[in-house]
Amino acid sequence: MLNLVQTEFLKLRRKKMIWFMLLAAFIMPFFSFVYYNYFEASGIDPVAFYKLAAFGYTPFIILPFVLGVFCVVLMHDENRYDMLKQLWIVPVSKMGYFFSKFIVVLIYSIVFMLISAVATVLFSVLPGFVAFEWQSVGFLAERCLEIGVLTAFAVMPILALAASKKGYIFPVCMTLLYVFLGFFITSISMYLHPVSSISVIIARSGNIQGLAFAQNINVPLALFCIFIWDALSVLFAAFSLRKRK
Amino acid sequence: MSDYLIETKQLTKTYGDQAAVKDVNLHVKKGRIYGLLGRNGAGKTTIMKMILGLTSITSGEVDVFGQNIKGHEKRIYPRIGAIIETPGFYPNLTGTENLEIFARLRGTAAPNAVKNALKVVGLPYKDKKLFSKYSLGMKQRLGIANAILHDPELLILDEPTNGLDPIGIAEMRDFIKHLSAERGKTILISSHILSEISLLADDIGIIDHGTLLVENTMKVLEKKNRKYILLRISDMPKAMLILEQEFHVTNFDMYDGHTLCIYDTSLDMGAVNKALVMHDVSVISSQLCNDTLEDYFKRITGGEGIA
Repeated sequence: MLNLVQTEFLKLRRKKMIWFMLLAAFIMPFFSFVYYNYFEASGIDPVAFYKLAAFGYTPFIILPFVLGVFCVVLMHDENRYDMLKQLWIVPVSKMGYFFSKFIVVLIYSIVFMLISAVATVLFSVLPGFVAFEWQSVGFLAERCLEIGVLTAFAVMPILALAASKKGYIFPVCMTLLYVFLGFFITSISMYLHPVSSISVIIARSGNIQGLAFAQNINVPLALFCIFIWDALSVLFAAFSLRKRK
Repeated sequence: MSDYLIETKQLTKTYGDQAAVKDVNLHVKKGRIYGLLGRNGAGKTTIMKMILGLTSITSGEVDVFGQNIKGHEKRIYPRIGAIIETPGFYPNLTGTENLEIFARLRGTAAPNAVKNALKVVGLPYKDKKLFSKYSLGMKQRLGIANAILHDPELLILDEPTNGLDPIGIAEMRDFIKHLSAERGKTILISSHILSEISLLADDIGIIDHGTLLVENTMKVLEKKNRKYILLRISDMPKAMLILEQEFHVTNFDMYDGHTLCIYDTSLDMGAVNKALVMHDVSVISSQLCNDTLEDYFKRITGGEGIA
């Protein structure tokens, strides 16, 4: 598996787009800076800044969309240039292939959220909106790491879909639909969609002010929701890769 | 243990009601070059895909190295190198980087495996040219380099000369011959170019509309493409009687009721013509013919020729 993951990284050489997509990690920290700068705020609660900069639109929309596009990028070349048959006769196991892609998505997601965490600290501490405290920074880093890990699992359906299609338009459209569905469905139930389940997990201690939910926080149920979607995604990927020669 | 490295038994592939491959019994012997010849769409690639387990088999069996490939992939695939259709590679990587990925996936131990494979096909090592900028011929060469990278015993090459220029085709032919003669590789090669197969193959299988029409050694096929006398006459039964009784000819074939092929070319044609005319059999034409492999192909496929 390690060999497969290493080769996945080798395949990404000269793909500037994936580095460019990491810039999206700065979007919400920057907008939070602009927002608080507009109100000339100072000495605000760090968690309030972090909520806007790292726990709001980033895990709900930006990161899932970026990861969805990343999944499509990972799968597209091999599908488009009909390379799968060359890989199968190496032989590369079909599920090993799928999970190696997933591990790359997982690492990318963690890197994205760590960049977002660093950007959040920079945009909050340097302008003097919040005082630097190890405790709050540690909380931010921990939650960002959790978001990074969980969101990778949440986009597994997109990875499975991208594995089943030769083109990229349909998986990208489905990424948009999937991401916005997760955002809007939260007001109905947080345990139907993996993206909304993530928000339950990161807000589990109740100390992120302003994150309001329609139901009680139930972390096992949120994890179960993600697990169900992932299990179905793995089955779908196994089925579609078996059919794809 | 069978003598064959590849053996198919009643191999069939259907798509809906349409049969792409019908009851194919293919026998590829160790250390030989087997040429699978057929027109475009005859079923060559489908057979190769079924041999490699890349497409499902409707019915029949495939044995590679005496084993069914299904369930033994990890043991059999490392012994095979293959290119099927136009080989695809990562467009953002160079040829060397692409091969390095496959070498790593295969766990190829030889330190200079990539360099040697590229050298064999005449591509530069550590070149900065990306695969996306390669010509069709270069892509094909890289595909072959990938197939031989891990020094496999068996090579399955689906139209490997596609896109190559005439010099490239000749080089590839020499290279394939060298692999078989010097390094004892067994090669299954498909082509729709008859001259290509006739110059390369030790054994040949002719496939048409999914059916393997002929499978034989090249030597036997060459013998079949011999000289013969072609006679067009008015009365076939009478002509046959005369030939058998007066000239003791038994080795002949009849076509369409008026055409006779006599394979004994030592016959005195003047005497034959005279005897036929004397018995009121009109001789419309009589000529000495020399069948080529292409004529043979036309004859057995019952249609047009091949490139």
